[in-house]
This record gives sequence, C-alpha cells and structure tokens, in this order.
Amino acid sequence: MGVMDFLMQGFQTAIQPENLFFAFIGVLIGTAVGVLPGIGPMSGVALLIPVTATLTSGMEPSAAATSSIILLAGVYYGAMYGGSTTSILLNTPGESSSVVTTLDGYQMAKQGRAGAALSIAAIGSFAAGIVSIIGLALLANPLSEMALKFGPAEYFSLMLLGLAAVSGLAGGSITKAWMMTVTGLLLATIGIDAVSGVARFTYEIPVLFGGLEFLTVAVGLFALGEVFKTILHKEDDQERVAKVGRVIPSRTDFKESAGPIARGSILGFFIGVLPGAGATLASFFSYIAEKKLSKNPKKFGKGAIAGVAAPESANNAASGGAMIPLLTLGIPGSGTTAILMGALIMYNVQPGPLLFSDHPDVAWGLIASMFIGNLMLLILNMPLVKVFAKIIETPPKYLLPIIIAISVFGVYAVQVTTFDLYLLIGFGLAGYLLAKNDYPLAPLVLGLVLGPMIENNMRRALTTSNGDFMVFIENPLSAIFLVCSVLWILVPFLLRLKGKNVVINVEG
Amino acid sequence: MKKGNWKNWLLAGLLIPSLAACSTSGSSSKTGDSDYPKKSIAVVAPSGAGGGWDLTARSLTKVLGETKLVDQTMTVENKPGGGGAVYLAEYATQHKKDDYKLYVNSPPILINNLKKEGNSPYGYKNTTPLAQLTKDFGAIVVKEDSKYNSLKELMEAVKKDPKSVTAAGGSAPGSMDHLVAVLPAYKSGVDPKSVKYVSYDGGGEAIAALLGGNADYIATDASAVGEFLKAGKVKVLGVSATERLKGDLADVPTFKEEGIDADFTIWRGIFGPKEMSDSAKDFWTKTLKDLDESKEWQAELERNGWESEFKDAEEFTSFLEEQEKQVEDLLKSLGMNK
Repeated sequence: MGVMDFLMQGFQTAIQPENLFFAFIGVLIGTAVGVLPGIGPMSGVALLIPVTATLTSGMEPSAAATSSIILLAGVYYGAMYGGSTTSILLNTPGESSSVVTTLDGYQMAKQGRAGAALSIAAIGSFAAGIVSIIGLALLANPLSEMALKFGPAEYFSLMLLGLAAVSGLAGGSITKAWMMTVTGLLLATIGIDAVSGVARFTYEIPVLFGGLEFLTVAVGLFALGEVFKTILHKEDDQERVAKVGRVIPSRTDFKESAGPIARGSILGFFIGVLPGAGATLASFFSYIAEKKLSKNPKKFGKGAIAGVAAPESANNAASGGAMIPLLTLGIPGSGTTAILMGALIMYNVQPGPLLFSDHPDVAWGLIASMFIGNLMLLILNMPLVKVFAKIIETPPKYLLPIIIAISVFGVYAVQVTTFDLYLLIGFGLAGYLLAKNDYPLAPLVLGLVLGPMIENNMRRALTTSNGDFMVFIENPLSAIFLVCSVLWILVPFLLRLKGKNVVINVEG
Repeated sequence: MKKGNWKNWLLAGLLIPSLAACSTSGSSSKTGDSDYPKKSIAVVAPSGAGGGWDLTARSLTKVLGETKLVDQTMTVENKPGGGGAVYLAEYATQHKKDDYKLYVNSPPILINNLKKEGNSPYGYKNTTPLAQLTKDFGAIVVKEDSKYNSLKELMEAVKKDPKSVTAAGGSAPGSMDHLVAVLPAYKSGVDPKSVKYVSYDGGGEAIAALLGGNADYIATDASAVGEFLKAGKVKVLGVSATERLKGDLADVPTFKEEGIDADFTIWRGIFGPKEMSDSAKDFWTKTLKDLDESKEWQAELERNGWESEFKDAEEFTSFLEEQEKQVEDLLKSLGMNK
C-alpha cells in the first residue's frame, strides 16, 4: 500500500490552491507553446524557468521546488497536447513528435473533419496521459532498471525494425518509400559524426557541423510543400473550401480510435522510458503499428482517424514515460527533460536514485499534479477545438501567408540562422516536387530521425565488442528485434510468391 | 515609473563623473567612452537554451542585474550551432569591436580550434578573455560492483589489454569527455589511440550506459556524479583536480594521488570581443571582480552546484595559454590535432 499512501499525499500537495494555479498556468502556456511552431517544449520550458523562480521566490524551498516543477512539467505535457493543432489544420508540424500526425490529420481537415481530428487528438492525449501516469506511479523502479539494460545492440535492432516497418508509411509504391528512406539516411550523415568525431559532408562550413535540423526539413517538406502545391494548382480546388463539420467525433470515430489510443498509449509509454528514443519515435512506431493492424490500411494517409489517434496518444504517453529515467535515475531522456532536471537542481532537489526517498513530496506531488493537469488540459482543449477548427475555413489567400510566416518564424526561432531559412525553402520545393510525383515524404523524415541512432548505436555496439557482429545476435532482445525486421520484409514477398493475394501495397 | 527614472538619471549623472575620475587615475586607460555601458548588453550563449553555457549566461545576467553592478538591461542570446563554432566565427569577424556583446564558453573554445575534424578557425585569441567564473573537473567513474577499485588498477587493465576495457563519455571523440577519459591512460604510458572510447549523446546517456553495464568506465563532470555516488550506484576512482574536492567527492583521490601526473580543469568563463575598448575592459574587470565577491553570486553558484574559481583577465589569459598546450599535446597523441 506504500504507493497508494504516497500518491494520496501527492494529491494533498497537488490540490493546494497555489499548486492548482501553477498547474493551470503551466498547461495553458504549454498549449500555446505547442500550437505555435518554433517554441517547442524545450525552449518553452527553458524560457519559463526564470519566471517560475520569481513566482515562487517567497515560498519555502521544498514547496517552491514542487510548485515550479508542477508548472514546468505542465508546460511540457501541455505542449504535447497542443502540438497536434497546426499539424492537423495547416500541415505544419510544430514539434518533431507531431510530424506523423500531419499524414492523416491534414487529410481529415481537408475533408471537413478537422473538429473530429482535433477532438480525438485531445481525447487520445488525455487517455495516454492517464495511462502513463499510472505507469509512472506503479512501474517507475522496475522500468528504470529495464531501460538501463537496453544497450547499443538493442537500440540498433529496434531502430532497424523501425526502418523495416517503413513500408507502413508508403503510399502507392514500396520502391519509392525505400528510395525516400535512403535519402533520409543519407541526409542524416551530414555533420560531425558523433562516434568518430569526423566531419562528413560539411565542406568546412560551420553551420553544417551540427547536421540538418530535423524540424527545418519536416516543416519545409510538409508545410511549405503544401503551400507551393496550393499556389501552383490553385485552379484545381478553388471551389472546395473545406467546411468544418461536427466538432464531436461520431460514434464510428470513437469505435475506430479506441484501439489505437489504447495501443498508442502503451507503446508510447514504453518507448518514452528508453533514454534517447523519445516522443518522435513513439509517434512513428504507433502509426506504423496501427496501419499494420488495421483492416483497411488503404485508408491511412487519406484521413483515417486512427492515424491521428495513435501517434497523438503515443507522443503524450512518451512524455510521461520520459519522466521515469529522469526522476528515478537522474538521466534525462530528451532535451526537455534535461531542462526540467536543471530546474530541479536549481531548487536543490537532485533528481536521481535518491529523489523518491529524499523528496517524496516533490516526486509524488508532481505525479499527482500530472493527473490534475491532464484533466485541465482536456477541459481547456475541447472548447478550443471549435475555435481552432474555424481556421480551416479561412480562404487560402489569407491562410497561405500565415502558414509561410509561421514556418519561417518557427524555424528561425529554433535555429537562429538564415541558413536554415534557405534550407526551409529548398525542402519546401523538394517537398512539392516529391509529393507531386507520389514519393511519400514521411519515410524521408523517419530516415533522418533514425539514421544517426542506427549508425551510432551500431558502432557503439561494435566498438564494445571489438568489431564482432555476433553481439547483435547474442543479445536475446536484439535478436528478437532483428528476426521481426527480417520477417516484416520477407513475409509479404513469400506470400506473394505463393500466389496469395497480399494486403500489402507492393508496386500499386 | 517616472519618478524612478528620474532618480536613476540623477544617480547616473552623479556616478558618471566619479567613474570617469576613477578611470583617469588608472595608469593604463587610453581614450574611449568612460561612461560605458551606455546601452543594453547581450551575453551570448553559443548553444540552445538549457545547457551549461546558457545557464551560466542566465545566472550571470540575473545576478549582475539584482546586485545593480550593471544598471543597463542585460539579455541572454542563444546562438546554437557547431558546438559553439558557428557563433564564434560571427563574433570574431562581425562583432570584434562591439563592446556590448559578451560571450560565454568553456574548454571547447580551445579544443574546437585545435582539433582537425570540425575545426573552428577561431579560438580564444580572437576574443578578449575577461574572467573565469567557475570550475569543474573531470571524473573517472565505474559501476559500484566493478572489479576495479582504484584508478591504478583500471589503468593497469587498460595497459594490459586495451580491448578488454570500454570507456564511454557524453561527447564525440576529440572533445572534452574523450580527452578526460584518455588523459590518465596517456599519462600512464598507454597509447591513447588504443583506448576503446564509445561516445554517447550527453553525460546522462553515458551514465545510463555505465549503470546498464554497457561501459566499464566513463569520464564525466565531477559535479554530475555526486548523487549516484551517494546512492551507492557508482564508484568514483579519480578526479582531474589538483587537490581533493569538497562535499560528496571528498574521499575521491586526485589523479596525482594515484600516481598519474595530470590535471584538467573544466572552466566556464566570459569573453569580450577582440578589439574591446579599454574603458569597457576596465569596467568588466572591476565589475566581474565585484560580482565574484558578492554574496548573491556565491549563493547563485551554490544553488547551481558550481564551484567558484575566479581568475581575472590576466590570470585567465595565461591559464588559457597553459591549457591550450595541454589540449594540443593530448590531441597530438591521439592523432586528432590540426
């Protein structure tokens, strides 16, 4: 009963008026941060640290720490909530973790189902938030031990599985999907290689040392690509200004999303626990998994509600999962949790193995406040859906400049170099041309995310094993992932050879 | 509001002549605006928000404002890219006379300039070092159940069979963690190139690798391991300081005590532009010294878990020369120098 007692104590802390107030401010700002591209959760939290320090300056140290971490964590998961909005409405992902939401979300919006998409994203996020908090409360310690056992070999094989599953993101042609994946992998090699320290494809240009920024590429491909398309093909859909349909999802919508939300939450939570994997990967994996499991995978990419529900649940659950290594080990799994950790240290609260015994009030207060914060987010977001959904009715001549402005500001706010703006325009053009010729964009983006992780973890594993490739097979977990990836690619072909009618879209 | 402004102006009016008097009495002062600073000052952290450089810049501007040592507004600008190299290029070329832009950095300003891959053509010589503010040290850490109980034993094992020991750190080869990881091996007579070093994304991932049994030892910042030591998860075999540290790591021997003649300071300092005017330089020399003596700054350091070590412009510059030699030497032995 220890856990329940502590949790009750946590609720007593979280329910205090000032903490309720801080949680509310946090999720409110977080929603705004999520909606605005450019201020990602990371910079949002970083910028608010001095503000919370001022707000809590009069309180005693331990209470001040609790209150400010409640606020900052609110910003973090609030941003995960809000991140879906621009993806769905404008095809402009505000955070890397909501890139995959654009695939079906934007299609839904074009069909006048923006309201349903936004609502299901909010509901999915809420459910995922609750799942991950329960997981956090009950499983924090065993899971943190497990996450540690996840070494370079396991990471490599898991990422490889992700790549093998890339067919899940293909539109008509598997070949084109693979071409885009490889392009993504190639682009990912630009920059200083993290394992050897060698500069690759940088041509001595310092802005390239850090590689291509993921967000610049994604916003360029998706948002600007769409802008170019709308401008160049304006006669095509001049007539069809999408109407906002019903805001509340229909009964079928709920039925179709319930499974994806549940699976997305659980998958997202576990991926979130792994340091370094994070919300982006969680959203991709859950999308691919849903497409694979779906009875009619053809609907994906054309406005399937499951394609919004799954990734949005997953990225929210991942943000909860990421709190586990942070709180129990003092190991931040992502940039944002690293900043949260910095904030805790500022208050003399050291996250790590001793946090739950030294500062139970802070740890459990935070967990309990996440329950309350998630509820606030749902209540806050549902009425907003109506307001946001109206955006889609804006005529293109006003909407396009807004998208361009948001993209440019967003990218510049993160990178602060004009180089990234050129890159943005370049990828916008590329995005238009590729999409026009039916090359799917998501595999490229996935290749860009997975590329460095696959490469670095493979080489880490090989360095440790002195170059012995057996390390990937000797590790049971790693071996399982590898077998899965091989099967994933081979099974459809084998079935085809046997003359079976296969549900997978090979060369459509 | 109006009243406050009026008072400030009066105060400034009173102060300016007295400051001017101060600077004329100094011997080295040349011409220049003696009423520096006249407008707001930007402190640039050449990284995104939230890292060590950023926190240093933010603490610095906060305390300088609170203590009224600087009455102009001070802002922090984040200019990420290339491990600091991107902004340094801009700083050294376009802002070399701008007294109102300061720059925060640490040993990478030396390392980036000296290493071959990802080289930054600019280094600390393209700036005016103003002061060192804090210090930290490298630590060699093993898991609590590791068979190595002293740095000597660990280095013996590396010497005997470099392939059997995996070292890890939170940054790429040729960067700070790598240098700290090979430093004791190099000084014990092991070819540093043979040390098996695995790089992770940041110190957090490196510690995770150690705890998960994916590395035999890691090199990381001494300030980051205290909590793991207290929790009994790791053993710290040595720190790269010249004398024993205080606090959690008081029982940890220095490299020297372990018979390895090496030390390495991870400092954080503040720089001005190359052609900073004398009046601005004098202002910061005095102000930063006053800052270091203020209890607000000491409290801020403690809150962040940073150890204070103040070196003024002159000491700092000669220290940088020394460390530059050390880094160059290490990179050469690794075959990674420019």
